[in-house]
Amino acid sequence: MQSLVPEPIEILSGVEDGEAARHFRFRFCGQSDSNLKKWQSTRPGQFFMLSVPGAGEAPFTFTTLPNAQGEFSALVRRMGQVTGALFERKPGYTLGARGPFGHGWPVTDGDTEKVLTEKALIVGGGCGLAPLVSLVEHLINSGTPPVALVYGARTAAAQVLNPERKRWQSQLPLFDIVQQGNGCQYRGTPLDLLPEVLNQVGEPERVFLCGPEIMMHTVAEFFVQRGLPASAIWMSIERRMHCATGTCGHCYLEHQYVCKDGPTYRWDKLAPLLARSSGAGALADFHC
Amino acid sequence: MQALHDMDVSTSQAITTICPFCGVGCGMTLQVQQSGAGTRLSGIAPQLNHPISRGQLCAKGWSTPFAIDAADRIKTPLRRTPGGFQPISWAEALKSIGESIRTILEEDGPQALGVISSARATNEDNYAAQKFARAVLRTNNVDHCARICHSPTVAGLKQTLGSGAMTNSASDIEQTDLIVVFGADPTENHSILGGHILRAREQGTRLIVVDPRKTRLARIADLHLQLRPGSNIALVNALLAEIFANNWQADQFLDARCEGLDALRKSVARTDADAGAEVTGVAPELVRSAAREYSQAKKAMILYGMGVTQYVSGTNNVIALSNLALACGQIGRPGTGVNPLRGQNNVQGACDMGCLPNVYPGYQAVAEEEIRNKFARAWQVSVAEHAGLTSLGMTLATLEDKFRGLILFGEDPVVTDPDQTRERRALDKLDLLVVAELTMTETAKQADFVLPAASFAEKDGTFTNCERRVQRVRKALPPPGEARADWQWLGDIARELGSDALDWESAEEIFDELAALTPIYSGMTYAGLDREHGLQWPCNKEAPQGTAILHSDRFPIGRARLIPVHHVEIDEPADDEFPLVLTTNRLHFHYGCGSMSRKSPLLERETPDGILFINSFDAHNLSLSQHSPVKVSSRRGFIETRAIISDEVPAGLVTMPYHFREAPSNRLTNNAMDPVTKMPELKACAVRVEPLPADAQPRTMDEILADEAREVAGD
Amino acid sequence: MTDYLIDSPITLAKHIGQSRDLWQLKENDSGERGWQLSAPEIFSALRSPDAMESAKQFFFAPRENIFQFDGNQFRESLPAPEPFALVGVSSCDLTAIAYQDHFFRDDPHYQARRQQALLVGYECLSPCAKGFCPSVDAGPGAREGSADLVLHQLQEDQWLLRVLTDTGARALEGLVLEKAGDAAQTQRHNQIEACIEAFPDDSHIHAGIEAINSNSVAQETWDAAGIQCLSCSGCTTLCPTCSCYGTSDHTTGDTMIRERFWDSCLYDGFQREASQNNPAGAAGDRVRRFWYHKFSREFFQASDNPGPADRYGCVGCGRCEVTCPGVIGVHSMMKKITE
Repeated sequence: MQSLVPEPIEILSGVEDGEAARHFRFRFCGQSDSNLKKWQSTRPGQFFMLSVPGAGEAPFTFTTLPNAQGEFSALVRRMGQVTGALFERKPGYTLGARGPFGHGWPVTDGDTEKVLTEKALIVGGGCGLAPLVSLVEHLINSGTPPVALVYGARTAAAQVLNPERKRWQSQLPLFDIVQQGNGCQYRGTPLDLLPEVLNQVGEPERVFLCGPEIMMHTVAEFFVQRGLPASAIWMSIERRMHCATGTCGHCYLEHQYVCKDGPTYRWDKLAPLLARSSGAGALADFHC
Repeated sequence: MQALHDMDVSTSQAITTICPFCGVGCGMTLQVQQSGAGTRLSGIAPQLNHPISRGQLCAKGWSTPFAIDAADRIKTPLRRTPGGFQPISWAEALKSIGESIRTILEEDGPQALGVISSARATNEDNYAAQKFARAVLRTNNVDHCARICHSPTVAGLKQTLGSGAMTNSASDIEQTDLIVVFGADPTENHSILGGHILRAREQGTRLIVVDPRKTRLARIADLHLQLRPGSNIALVNALLAEIFANNWQADQFLDARCEGLDALRKSVARTDADAGAEVTGVAPELVRSAAREYSQAKKAMILYGMGVTQYVSGTNNVIALSNLALACGQIGRPGTGVNPLRGQNNVQGACDMGCLPNVYPGYQAVAEEEIRNKFARAWQVSVAEHAGLTSLGMTLATLEDKFRGLILFGEDPVVTDPDQTRERRALDKLDLLVVAELTMTETAKQADFVLPAASFAEKDGTFTNCERRVQRVRKALPPPGEARADWQWLGDIARELGSDALDWESAEEIFDELAALTPIYSGMTYAGLDREHGLQWPCNKEAPQGTAILHSDRFPIGRARLIPVHHVEIDEPADDEFPLVLTTNRLHFHYGCGSMSRKSPLLERETPDGILFINSFDAHNLSLSQHSPVKVSSRRGFIETRAIISDEVPAGLVTMPYHFREAPSNRLTNNAMDPVTKMPELKACAVRVEPLPADAQPRTMDEILADEAREVAGD
Repeated sequence: MTDYLIDSPITLAKHIGQSRDLWQLKENDSGERGWQLSAPEIFSALRSPDAMESAKQFFFAPRENIFQFDGNQFRESLPAPEPFALVGVSSCDLTAIAYQDHFFRDDPHYQARRQQALLVGYECLSPCAKGFCPSVDAGPGAREGSADLVLHQLQEDQWLLRVLTDTGARALEGLVLEKAGDAAQTQRHNQIEACIEAFPDDSHIHAGIEAINSNSVAQETWDAAGIQCLSCSGCTTLCPTCSCYGTSDHTTGDTMIRERFWDSCLYDGFQREASQNNPAGAAGDRVRRFWYHKFSREFFQASDNPGPADRYGCVGCGRCEVTCPGVIGVHSMMKKITE
């Protein structure tokens, strides 16, 4: 049975990190060991349903995966009802979580569980960097850090995960770009910057994307044009969700359920699905 | 609401009743279950054998269980105290309200008191409300929201045809050759009727839409006459001019049944399609096509809405449409007629019941002594001699210290009436404001006493739909807490004041009393309504089965009157300071002040992120992108919302739905009135749209008011 | 399993009624049909697609509480109904229940109710007004395993009682019945064949299904249908296989309740995200998706699909045709697709 009842978690802290964005640290309250084990098996790119009682429930990605103490983090941008209420809650407040859900990033070979060691390039846009954080950390810890991280944001003030990016500076080449204003080396979108990046770091063997759908599509097509197989391009998409168990219907993508079949997709599988739903990404903007 | 059998159910029942939302009056069946824990609503289904809706409901109808959910309901009487509303007993509430009414009566007489009844409530409630005003308070100060929807219809059609209601029936849509939808958006507001139009269109019926907005129906229409707001008369006169010029009029019908042709001919001879175009903006060839199609169709029917009535020229707009139908003989036969689409589920009934300051039930004039005597005899009281105040009249009289006590139920004038600032000021000034409601509304928040009202599902009675069909509403559930039907608590106050005028045992007893006094209802009984799925008035000895089509053989006034009318500019055209015209509209998903529809999480989710609809040209000029935060100001105030860029509206025009208390369009609307009916010009006023900073969160009306109060306090 | 002959559904109802609440279709004073708690002494012989409401509400509740939260703990609100029986479910609605049984196989609320139910089918002998069950493999004969027991009328006073499940067999314990012979089975077979023959031409349904599966429906067709879709939610509410739901929270005092309720994929807000991004912002796309989910083989055959059973999502009851104000119910829409 797939319960729609959350498990209690408490807010440990919330740190402002970008425009209207806050990096929250949570901890499970009074969990059994077996339950904690379930959470500790979370893979980078998976997500959980966060309940803010009275306001509702919405999917969020882990920026750090649940540890032995049952602590984990998530970056949240204030956007709607659930996030609006979350921002009003103080540390110590009890919330709910269900999960982990979905397919994470392909960080190991599905058959052998061997860590993949291809040259990975990572492109994030806005709060779309959040699902990539645990991937970057995983790759660093596995001794095969990404060949580069390209991070685009609307403005310098809108950049998120600032401490993380600062920490990564010594571990991999970082390329930041903003659409408007100063405070950053490059101006434009990640797509504008990619030729320069590839000049510096060479062609990647695998690309991981997360950000506004329109950005992910154009970046994916950019790499396909350069000869990278679509099957080497991965992206994480978001949809409205009420169950994450494949029944509420809100995340339908043609015959798929993003909550179960995604949220990470290989571009060769995803592109044909999106091609049929004409409205996709039309209004997309940088958002969490 | 849970699954059908979750509890230990002892009995279950399916109660067929009428949808509480719009004037179409669709049939619905409420599934209720009794168990040890009480009676509860477990489901809702459309009524398959209903004569109009035939198994269909709109989004609002389907959401009814949320609208009457006990969780949000007011369950006991509340008294306003400095610390907020406090629950009190009915006995306390009645005693205090009674004392207050007696004081006002003694000091200022009955003219300082009034009742605003509800087009959402039953005929029985409305009959009780006007009887309470007339027989207990002894004043004709009784009105309801028809004032701001179809009062010009009642006034206009009464003059020209002798009866101010839809001349034909919903089923005529299937029999006609041409449908003219004039200033109405039926797929959104009368959705099931709108659906009938979609079906007729598919089956080859021609469709002409006259609307400044590109509505859903305009998209599939054969002709869309996209006129400038407020140019209805100019357009209709141009149509008439073309009809007369081409000799397309119905000579025989005009000879036999109308008067005033010469004057009308002469009056419209001054214009034509080309001259009209300068005022209306509608291409002359479209007007000529429409004139030919309408006049030459075997059967053509006009359906119209608030795009006709909510103007300073409202009554004359209605007269213009009547002129058009009469000139072409498109009336009195199946598939023809002049058909106002009434807004609320029972606005027709509230009018029929005489909740208007100048008429008793059945449109019997207060001005006629014989009628006054008839009611004085029937009610065994003396009655007031003069017509009473309209709702806006009561507001103005309050501001002039001439009006002190108001009893109001099932309406939210703070949200739905024009010039909200003035409305709030007047309500604040009252010595006594009693509001009966299902849930807290903006108006109830200003009351001295809030009384818990029973919803449509919790009482027996009747609603009269827009095609004059009186239909049974049946009690399916007990009212929550101490809630009572409006006729019941009105009776309680009457008894508190020493009157037994409202001492009824049942809704049926009221219906029998009102049918006896209302000639157009005289042939109706509950048994008859049950048998026939409702009866259409007039239903009397001559027409025991009711009347589907009015004016078949004769008009109640003998010959119908053609009355020349002339274009009247909107009161407040756009100018340099306020360069855009604002018109108001309604959304399919919401209804009135939203007090019922907004209880549904599904309908609430359909509320757009912003509610200012603006053309891409104007948006570009103002550097607005989709969902940009904006401030919208008029001479009367401002609101903040987000812009929705939509080519449904032409350049120069912006629209706002009026359902949302957060950004009430009635903060902006003009209170200039139709001189005949005091209908405010809700369909056009001049506004200015200004972008707010891109990252600004538009403030709700409450936030704006709080900020303003702080500023005042700071001074 | 053994099939039996029985003189009347009432005999069966009286027996079952000893241990279960009985629900069957009844007509109220206004002539409206719906499921009602019922005494065993009456059998109304109504076909379930002639009622607006299907039986899905018995298992997938229109509204229900998921849990309560007191500030610290989340407490699941699972239903615990007494055993009950639905008597007289037509084959289309039985097929829909089987479809949802699979879809909601891991849903604790659905299953808590479903496991208490005994389904007694009632096979139609003539087509209903808008139905086309034979074209979508849903009737008029009850599909294997879709009911516990199935009634099929042979004569005025003789019915074939088929036993399709162990639960059905157990429900008959204590009832002495004559075993049905080949003649009864043959008669049933012939009557069902005759019923299938009597259905009107529904080639538009077949053609529509093929057009949807070959992706050959013009976008303009969907967009035109989108103009006529009023997002009333009638089709999805009455559709016996529609399963989408939303959730919302209510707080009273210190207790917060999360409720779930039937949702509709035809609403603009169904997929709209907090950012206002809407992957299905065009009404025509939503209409397309609705029919795709009813008729696409890709949808139900997707190997890793957690959702539908191995069949079309449409059982041919025709309720959407009746309830759609926009004239885009199943017959109208399939005709538009294939015109």
